[in-house]
Amino acid sequence: MRIQRTNVRVAFAVLIVLLLVASFLELSLGPVNIPVRHVFVNLWAYLAGRRSEDAVVMGAIRLPELLEAGLVGAGLATTGAVLQAIFRNPMADPGIIGISSGSSVGAVLIIALGVANLNQWFTPAAAFVSGMVTVYVIYRLGTIGGRTLIHSLLLSGVAVSSLCSAVVTLILSLEPLQTMHQILFWLMGGLDGSTWLNVVMVTIFVVVGFVVYLTQSTALDILSVGEEQAEGVGVPLQAVKQLMLIVSALVVGACVSVSGVIGFIGLIVPHLMRIWIGPSHGRLLWASALGGATLLIASDVVSRIILLPIILNVGIVTACLGAPFFLYLLRRQFSGRMGAGV
Amino acid sequence: MLELKQVNYLNIIRSVSAKLETGLVGVIGPNGAGKSTLLKLIAGVERPDSGEILLNGQAVHEMKSKERAKQLAYMPQQVPDDVIFSVREYVEMGRYAHRTGFGTLTAQCRQAVAAALRRMNLESLANTPLGQLSGGERQRVAIARCLAQGTSALVLDEPISSLDLHYQMSILNLLSQLAEEGYLIVMAIHHLELAAQYCGRLILLNDGCIYRMGGVEEVLQPEVVHDVFQIDAKVFKDPYHHSLRLSCATKV
Repeated sequence: MRIQRTNVRVAFAVLIVLLLVASFLELSLGPVNIPVRHVFVNLWAYLAGRRSEDAVVMGAIRLPELLEAGLVGAGLATTGAVLQAIFRNPMADPGIIGISSGSSVGAVLIIALGVANLNQWFTPAAAFVSGMVTVYVIYRLGTIGGRTLIHSLLLSGVAVSSLCSAVVTLILSLEPLQTMHQILFWLMGGLDGSTWLNVVMVTIFVVVGFVVYLTQSTALDILSVGEEQAEGVGVPLQAVKQLMLIVSALVVGACVSVSGVIGFIGLIVPHLMRIWIGPSHGRLLWASALGGATLLIASDVVSRIILLPIILNVGIVTACLGAPFFLYLLRRQFSGRMGAGV
Repeated sequence: MLELKQVNYLNIIRSVSAKLETGLVGVIGPNGAGKSTLLKLIAGVERPDSGEILLNGQAVHEMKSKERAKQLAYMPQQVPDDVIFSVREYVEMGRYAHRTGFGTLTAQCRQAVAAALRRMNLESLANTPLGQLSGGERQRVAIARCLAQGTSALVLDEPISSLDLHYQMSILNLLSQLAEEGYLIVMAIHHLELAAQYCGRLILLNDGCIYRMGGVEEVLQPEVVHDVFQIDAKVFKDPYHHSLRLSCATKV
């Protein structure tokens, strides 16, 4: 529906305020508490080269973690919005194209083989490469006679993801306890150990991906209505679907490679934003980016403080939020259909 | 001008050839005759296995999507009922091929959308979500989206299928007007009586082949209707409205 301009402005203002609040809490709270009023002082001290304990915590640990959380959240949420439009399914998320399960196989294999400890980049690189290979396999399976069929893609994604999960479980069951712990830590998704290099890498993929998504926002609007409708008005269907799947795979691949598997952000955020600011992707993508960043940062804060001194993996927090929301969506969709007599 | 040359598609459409210029052309035939598939082929949604479909001399399936959408608008059979875009936003989608840069609507686009909404009497519903409309209203919105596209050829798959008699006739009157203005409108239609009344030309499909093509009286011969639809029917001139009518009698 056409949303009033003032409502859209209010929505974006609220999102920006929430992002700022979550960011300050992320910088301030944790095993070492730094009062919010000291955040800027410590950041400035770190940038000026003064290495007090608080300044180091702020500049070398929390700031890259904040930026990584924001970028990964934005990347997952915007990609979720794109995939929901392409699949015409509000329950589609980045996992649907197999990127998460595919990445898991590569990362778990590298950890299990003991190669991961040789270089910090081996696990993310393996996750990225295996994620891309999986997406390609699913894409090939879902493309028949030169046309990418959405249902075929969806079912191929489910089947290949199940196969990947089985491989991961098999590797897990064969590994000793210590390696198993390391693997589980990656599978649950986390932002610990964020580095500036990670931040630079994710920034490139997420920002470029976001710009590409924005150039296709009108096509995504039309695709969300239906493929035949889109073809009727001149959307180059196959080209748009290919471009969006490739860019989605690259964005999510980059995110998963640095943060592990973080579920549900790509499912919840675009859906909430669509309800709040409407279905138009010109606005939805921006709102999803802000909402995704805010939600992952806030989840990271919760994961740090909820069981202090234990720090949870952020994936656990997002799953605790996402699973009930997913069930709510499922029930809502079915009750809507029953109500409509379908 | 639209020209079909020996078009074959799977086993659904077989050796279909036709030459259509302007006017309201009705594609009729029993269920499963291949009407919707033929329209999809004409619209470039499906690609023929063999043969050619030429629009103003260019092969439809060789044209770039946007180029094709500037010359031909296609309305699928099913208008979605779960869309949360407003009527105006949906009609604006018809201008996809004319937008600039990041999808910005030009002043010309806005004028075309306003004119389409006005012509289909949808101005009062412009800000209503499409999913909240009745089936008939959604059908009018879908036709408005085609009109907004600004093409001279419209391919409409059963445009009056879920409309009441009033809207069926008002839409067919509008399509007749457009045909008189020089549009080529190819539409699938089940309602033989209305097809006889409004269409200038008919293509009767049966089992994927053209069984008969031409003017109403030529196509709707009693023996032809009997062969294809297994009903007795007769075309006559309505003495009150001076238009052709089809009288369907007993079922065989």
